[in-house]
Amino acid sequence: MADLALTLFPANARRTGRKLLRNRAFVAGAFLVTLVFLAIVLAPLIAQYEPNRMQIRMRFRPPSSEFWFGTDNLGRDMFARVLYGGRLSIEIGFWVVMLNAVFGVTLGALAGYFRALDNPLMRLSDALMAFPSVLLAIGIAAILGPSTSTAVIALAVVYIPRTARILRASVLVVRELDYVHASRAAGAGDWHILWRHILPNCMAPLLVQLSFVFAYAVLSEAVLSFLGLGAPPTVPSWGILISEGRSYIREAWWLTVVPGIAIAVTVLGLNLLGDGLRDVLDPRMKIQQE
Amino acid sequence: MKLRQSILAATALTAVALAATPSNAQGFQCPRTGGDLIFALESQVPGLDQHASNSSATRNVAMNMFETLVTRDENMNPILELAETLETSADGLTYTFRLRQGIKFHNGKTMSSADVAASFDRYKRLGIDRSILDPVDSWSTPDANTFVMKLKARQPLFLEALSSFTVPIVIIPSENAGAAAGQLPTVGTGPFRLDEFRADSHVRLRRFDDYRPDTRHATMSGFAGGKRACVDTVTLRMMTEPAARTAALEVNEIHGVEDVPAASQKRLADNRAIKLARLETFWMNVTYPNWSAPPTDNPKVRQAILAAMNFDEIMEAATEGQYKLNPGFQYPGMQYFTDAGKELLNQKNPAKARQLLQEAGYKGEKVVLLTNRQFPVMYNTSLVMAEQLKAAGINAELEVLDWPAALQKSQRETQGWNFFYTGWITVIALGGPQTLRQMAEPNPVYKPKDNKVDPAYMAAFNEVNTAPELAQRQAAFARAQRIALDQVMAVPFGVAPKTQAVRANVENYVPYFNTRFSNVWIRP
Amino acid sequence: MLAFAIRRLLHTIPILAIVSLIAFGMIKLVPGDPAVVMGGTNATAAEIDQIRRNLGLDQPFHVQLGAFYWNLLQGDLGNSLLLNVPVTSAIIERLPATLWLSAYAMLLTLIFGLATGIIAALRHNTWVDQAATTLALIGVSLPNFWLGLVMIVVFSVHLGWLPTSGFVDPAENVIGFLRTATMPAAALAMLQIGLLARITRSAMLEVLRQDYVRTARAKGLPEWVVVMKHALANAMIPIVTVVGLIFSVLISGSIVIETIFTIPGMGALLGNAILRRDYPMIQGGLLFVAAALMLLNLLADMLYAYFDPRVQVDRDG
Repeated sequence: MADLALTLFPANARRTGRKLLRNRAFVAGAFLVTLVFLAIVLAPLIAQYEPNRMQIRMRFRPPSSEFWFGTDNLGRDMFARVLYGGRLSIEIGFWVVMLNAVFGVTLGALAGYFRALDNPLMRLSDALMAFPSVLLAIGIAAILGPSTSTAVIALAVVYIPRTARILRASVLVVRELDYVHASRAAGAGDWHILWRHILPNCMAPLLVQLSFVFAYAVLSEAVLSFLGLGAPPTVPSWGILISEGRSYIREAWWLTVVPGIAIAVTVLGLNLLGDGLRDVLDPRMKIQQE
Repeated sequence: MKLRQSILAATALTAVALAATPSNAQGFQCPRTGGDLIFALESQVPGLDQHASNSSATRNVAMNMFETLVTRDENMNPILELAETLETSADGLTYTFRLRQGIKFHNGKTMSSADVAASFDRYKRLGIDRSILDPVDSWSTPDANTFVMKLKARQPLFLEALSSFTVPIVIIPSENAGAAAGQLPTVGTGPFRLDEFRADSHVRLRRFDDYRPDTRHATMSGFAGGKRACVDTVTLRMMTEPAARTAALEVNEIHGVEDVPAASQKRLADNRAIKLARLETFWMNVTYPNWSAPPTDNPKVRQAILAAMNFDEIMEAATEGQYKLNPGFQYPGMQYFTDAGKELLNQKNPAKARQLLQEAGYKGEKVVLLTNRQFPVMYNTSLVMAEQLKAAGINAELEVLDWPAALQKSQRETQGWNFFYTGWITVIALGGPQTLRQMAEPNPVYKPKDNKVDPAYMAAFNEVNTAPELAQRQAAFARAQRIALDQVMAVPFGVAPKTQAVRANVENYVPYFNTRFSNVWIRP
Repeated sequence: MLAFAIRRLLHTIPILAIVSLIAFGMIKLVPGDPAVVMGGTNATAAEIDQIRRNLGLDQPFHVQLGAFYWNLLQGDLGNSLLLNVPVTSAIIERLPATLWLSAYAMLLTLIFGLATGIIAALRHNTWVDQAATTLALIGVSLPNFWLGLVMIVVFSVHLGWLPTSGFVDPAENVIGFLRTATMPAAALAMLQIGLLARITRSAMLEVLRQDYVRTARAKGLPEWVVVMKHALANAMIPIVTVVGLIFSVLISGSIVIETIFTIPGMGALLGNAILRRDYPMIQGGLLFVAAALMLLNLLADMLYAYFDPRVQVDRDG
């Protein structure tokens, strides 16, 4: 981790850190994200009921001092369900980010650095990006059957081409920089150059992109779950909670509204975090989207 | 019911008119005509080829446009529709239908026996339930108004099968009989004809002006009887979101909905602009085990699972409180109803379950409950069942797939599932023999080894189908039901209603297994 | 420009080939088949077998694959199994609703996205900027299907202003279109408005700092002329790029939104096709959408070149 921090902020890590702390978007985002993380990690301590404990006679209780977020159609405590549900949403988002980091970086670096690989890799990514993202995810999710890893893989496949593209673009720039040429002239091998000189300098846009991928993954997971193709609902995610609650939106609005707000707060936090990182680390990168 | 018994039991008579006593030479008269009735369906309509679809959504629309020789009435007894009379020969092998005169198809052609024969030909070729016609040796058309079927062997319940409406044998003009499955032009003899069908959006039906009403009956009964199209058009909108459907009814965008979720019923009942219409015994909540997959291949494990369950909790969760427990596979009042084996249902006895598990040598093997989320009823049932099994020391685990994947998996016994969930609607409503068939060879739902069903059950099942006396058949049914429950072939949790709703100015809408728009009129 | 367009068009052919393979592979792998779906909850195994025979699904897979490509070469995408119509006519029938809806959403996006972004940039670092930026951020953070559901409850049920669902073709009835399409279009547009506002704001800030804008201001030109003529025209380049992407996002969003609002469009068609395992519909629909999106991207690239002729058109390098 220390290594990563050094490569990220090679010149002056402490100054970058101070800049980040002065950036209002970053601070607000970090606050929201920390809040969400704490809530879901400490869920067993905060929630007084088990998320799947049914008290059928207590169904459809509106929010009260006993049930902060009310109860659902089977009398389950929504507060516990929203907290535990967040675990799954965040977990899926996290793994999507990890897969993006590994495969997006690998493919992007290969395409950007080795010209021979560029065309086939980019055509493949064109083909994947030619599908509307949700459709592609639905198709993959339908193939693999609903499970947590299905949601992760489906969303990763959607976003990896986009991450790879951003990394490729950075590599294309960095590989023409003087010190890379110098290093090559000094007889350094391709892998050495790629690993020691190019990748460390592409970390800033990557980090920014990954924070947005995290946000999109949380949103898209909700869409998949809403369509019944996400993780199995035994451990509900926020998308599943909305999907299950929507039939009762007239009688029990809290079943739909509360998980929606939970998603919004989390995604907002991640977006703010990404904005802050971008402002500080990579002020030139404004238009990289999706 | 009396009438039908006399027909079925006393087939020695030569000429029997199946029609009820003519009570009204006029048939049904509309108090008011005109208007566009807008009705919301809860699911998409997968096409209108009534021979090639067994879906309830197809019947909801198509059975307002197509008619049959014989169908079921409001009480599920056979009733003649396009046939004027039915005569059964003394040996029970020949069924002679005399057709009603002057019936017109929507394309203007007058129906004759050639059309009937062509319809049966097509059904025999591709009808989903074409096994209904397996006992038939041949059919013929001695003249333009007569259709004769010859059976291979005496079959006391043939008329019940012929009139069952899961996939009704609707009569189509002979020129359409060559249509491939799913490609049938929507031309029938019913009171409505097709105006527009936009898949996933809406279907519009229009009154068929040359419709020849059945004047033998004053009112509609089942799909038959005295029918007339009172409204000019019916627009059926497919609205799969329950909340949106109910909201549309409340804000007067539509006149009726096919299904009102339990949670919304109280609010709608309090709304004076809306009338609820309820069919009290509509569907039975059922689960069945997989006999080929361990540990449910062991009868003791199955019995333990049955002993562990509390049906009230399960039905409460599945239906949000709108249910009745039911002691068996038929409802009270039905011909084959019996409570044989009812002590095996709703035992709520985890201690007995543990005892049985011990005897079975159960060592915590996984019990996979295969369920889906498209149908919340099934999902909630499996959820509560899983909790109850766990409480009895059974290692229950939910497997949640989407509906197509789950159903396909349930048809393969090797694929590692132990319980599957379904709702039996017509399977129960069409009567005892139809229900027992689910658990009999050749396709028992619970997948016993090599599809070999317990011989005692098969003996009882065959007796239900062939015994000449009703009392004998009823006794055989009771035997079969007891065996089915004792060995746990399927578990009938209970029965739930179907609640529909219409605006207060919609008159004479009567809920049935499918939506019917004849004889419904709109007050201004 | 023409040579560029042709070259890009040729580029799409191998991509479409891969797309069709992916689409077909997807189908081979998805468990559950349309016979099962059509059978419904009460179907017996024998009934489902009969449906499967009726649909020709008992054919070996390679026969089905061969037939698909043979027909494709003749421009025939086959028949939808569940709708009983040719795939091409299903697409043609559904396309208008989605196009109208997307166009409406796009219009809302352009109006509100650009306005918010421009105002925020002009009032940089004031409370107006803060409010606009926050709103844009919230816009990109809300799940659109959730927003749709909440809007139905508020605007249809409680206020009774708009119908809950349905779609009216604007060619038939403009008022009806506006009444039925406003909520879904707004739900669809919310994310894009946020996105566009953010891009516009930063692009404008960039441009407003440039010398020629300062010169224009110094010359005493009215502020709106400066903004519209000098600043916005130059900020168009990144904006056009984003707009090109937005159509793809709109199609994605329309799957859920069309389902919620019961709109018979392409999104619902494709989403349902997958859920019902309507193989030919999935293949044909995906192929069509992918081709359409690639053409749109090509168009966006050409616009990009038009707005900034200095830019090398082939951004792929």
